[in-house]
Amino acid sequence: MAESYQEGSGAGGADFDLSQFYQIFFEEAGENLDQMEQMLLDLDLSAANDEELNGIFRCAHSIKGGAATFGFSDVAELTHQMESLLDRLRRHELQPIPPMVDVLLESADASRSLLARHQAGGQGEAVSTTSLVKRISELAAGVVPDGAPAAAPAPAPAPVAVAPAPAIKAHVPGQLRKLQIHIGPLEKTEQADTIKELFRDIPGLGSISDLPSVQAGVRVFAVETTSSTDDLLDLFAFHVSKEQVRFSDGDEEPAAAAEVDPDHAVHEIEPPSGGADVSYGFFSDAPGAPSAVPAAGAAAKPSASKAVAAAEPKAAAQAQMESTTIRVAVNKVDQLINLVGELVITQAMLAQNSRGLDAGAYQQLLAGLADLDRNTRDLQESVMSIRMIPMSIVFSRFPRMLRDLANKLGKKVELVTLGEATELDKGLVEKITDPLTHLVRNSCDHGIEMPAERLAKGKPELGTITLSASHQGGSIVIEVRDDGRGLSREKILRKAQERGLDVSDQMSDADVWQLIFAPGFSTADEVTDVSGRGVGMDVVKRNIAALNGSVEVDSAEGYGMKVSVRLPLTLAIMDGMSVGVGEEVYILPLSSVVESFQVNSDDVSTVAQGSQLVKVRDEYMPVIALEKIFQVPRFDLNKSSNIMVVVEADGSRVALLVDELLGQHQVVVKNLETNYRKVPNVSGATILGDGTVALILDTGGLVRRARH
Amino acid sequence: MSVMGKTADNAPTGAREYLTFRLDQEEYGIDILKVQEIRGYEPPTRIANAPEFIKGVVNLRGTIVPIVDMRLKFNCAQADYNSFTVVIILNLRNRVVGIVVDSVSDVMELTPESIRVAPDIESAIDNSCILGLGSVGERMLILLDIEKLMSSVDMGLVTTAE
Repeated sequence: MAESYQEGSGAGGADFDLSQFYQIFFEEAGENLDQMEQMLLDLDLSAANDEELNGIFRCAHSIKGGAATFGFSDVAELTHQMESLLDRLRRHELQPIPPMVDVLLESADASRSLLARHQAGGQGEAVSTTSLVKRISELAAGVVPDGAPAAAPAPAPAPVAVAPAPAIKAHVPGQLRKLQIHIGPLEKTEQADTIKELFRDIPGLGSISDLPSVQAGVRVFAVETTSSTDDLLDLFAFHVSKEQVRFSDGDEEPAAAAEVDPDHAVHEIEPPSGGADVSYGFFSDAPGAPSAVPAAGAAAKPSASKAVAAAEPKAAAQAQMESTTIRVAVNKVDQLINLVGELVITQAMLAQNSRGLDAGAYQQLLAGLADLDRNTRDLQESVMSIRMIPMSIVFSRFPRMLRDLANKLGKKVELVTLGEATELDKGLVEKITDPLTHLVRNSCDHGIEMPAERLAKGKPELGTITLSASHQGGSIVIEVRDDGRGLSREKILRKAQERGLDVSDQMSDADVWQLIFAPGFSTADEVTDVSGRGVGMDVVKRNIAALNGSVEVDSAEGYGMKVSVRLPLTLAIMDGMSVGVGEEVYILPLSSVVESFQVNSDDVSTVAQGSQLVKVRDEYMPVIALEKIFQVPRFDLNKSSNIMVVVEADGSRVALLVDELLGQHQVVVKNLETNYRKVPNVSGATILGDGTVALILDTGGLVRRARH
Repeated sequence: MSVMGKTADNAPTGAREYLTFRLDQEEYGIDILKVQEIRGYEPPTRIANAPEFIKGVVNLRGTIVPIVDMRLKFNCAQADYNSFTVVIILNLRNRVVGIVVDSVSDVMELTPESIRVAPDIESAIDNSCILGLGSVGERMLILLDIEKLMSSVDMGLVTTAE
């Protein structure tokens, strides 16, 4: 997982391109900064209330989370410092004083310019945050500055990666070493390329880059790794003999190597510098057997400059992309969608009325109507696509984030995603991303144990975090599941008592789990820069409640926990299968339909209390006659239900008895509860082509009904 | 809120406008400000297990709107659906509901003086949903608090504690 990502980003992000989310992050961060600034300015220092301080803290926390996800470590580092200070204020460990507000405002400005620089693809002057970071940490430590605070952070022309680099190093666990490896003498220098492939193929091994060699037949590599020399030798032994390998300390790198900072190659994800490094390695690799220094050096120089030239158009393209997107109020889009819906219905009506016309006499009219039909459909599709995006957009943010996080914490974690094709309203996606980020970080930080601890407990060393999305009933359910240590009931109750919350030992598990959503509640023993401040779950709950959703926690201590986020389907498109029962039409979610078949009365057997079972390939499943459940009036007594549609929900199957299968189409899910109330076994409604309303069945509800 | 209080706020004359409609032989009036539009009747999509007077739901320009037949609710002798049957679309506290009536008569202005308190009588609806009786010449109007009527539990339009 690890190394494949690096390759991907290096090669121009063919398979995994985070940059598509940059824009969203920059917009969100901008909004958060504006909000934080406003709140800081409004803050009454003598009587700062908790709500305000929590609000400011949350802004900083959100920016930090996003920045860390995208690898903008300078921003993450600065906001982390701000967060530390704000956290102490929030806990009333410090009294807010004007210099704090000053430094926080300056930090907000600095974050803004750092972000602007990242947004411009690393162009422009870098902003040094060192003095700000120092001032914040002094204030956080309780040192009151005498006299005027230090000068505002003058934009120092620091080289691109100076600020972030030390920050990254500080977080890397274990001993990251720089080595030079000399391989040779070899008959063919290409033989050593297999060593490079090793580094690419084995996750977590480290990075490798070519260095010019002074000796014919000898290849020199600069390697950065956490593995021991013996381990490396063992690995190399498959390709070259041990005698041919010589290690030396990385510090004695020749001057040419300094051009390529290996640190850069691993961590920097800014397009220009990242691109430069990779094309350097790629290019100098190509010439086959460059043995003498001058040759290698000459090859390296032009390639480096070429890379810079190549990076410029890339940045330009990015800048251009910014101007081609616009932010539009959601209600305008909604209005558009409703109007198009109207148009579709009108069009369907025209088509119906024109069916009887004489094709010869009304040729032009009919051609026009055919055009209208096509255009309407295209228009509807485009308008719908404005709002709907698949969950994969959200999910694909996480592998990178989780990898960095796991590395930082020294844990081994695998991410499994399910139901990525589930489509979700864009408005929901934007709002669900932050809570999900918190949940995944929590799972990794608090849930998954250290590899040794996992082995000791008899679990696989590799922890698993599962992200899944699905339509269930009238909702979209997104689950974050881990197989970590789970929640400890005793610990939560103890913490709650310490905090003076009203709890008792008789509380049900579900009630106890709900306690973790209280503001400032954390069972973590120590605060890391990942989580543990107790702000995450509070934000999660708030954001989801704002979407009319709910959060449920389920956990078994020692086995893991599951957080289910249930969101209403305000506007979601679903693939539906329409079935006819009597004169009525019902829609089944296609995702839950397993199969359908014509049934003979012999296949159905009746058991006690009149329930019916049907045998499908050695499996008996309950039969639900839609005609009975929905009390469908029957006018034509010659017709009867003889088609079974097998649907699956919550892991079990039932067979629905219907009259006929009418077709499959995409339906826009409308909420029935907006103007009416919840109807049993119905998850929503949709509007058919002829303008009439059809009810969408809640297969989950039907299955539960049959099983209990 | 009482109809008198509202009247005083709205117009100096104290007059209010009511949309009047007929159910069988009776004439009813509702606050015109609650009326969104008036449409012809189109067959709705039936909803299983709903009370008889809830005819189902229709599509009103992309919104799913429940349709209540007032004639069934008020136990009228006849409830035919023909080309004269009218649906009044109401907008009540951000909810949109359609009611089926026999016909819409007109819009009338009533002053508080012409509204009498309704006597306590046995009827199909709760007395508290009747604002009063308005008299216009020989005609008598039953003025309904349509919002209260529609949100009452026995209408089954709103989910209550289940």
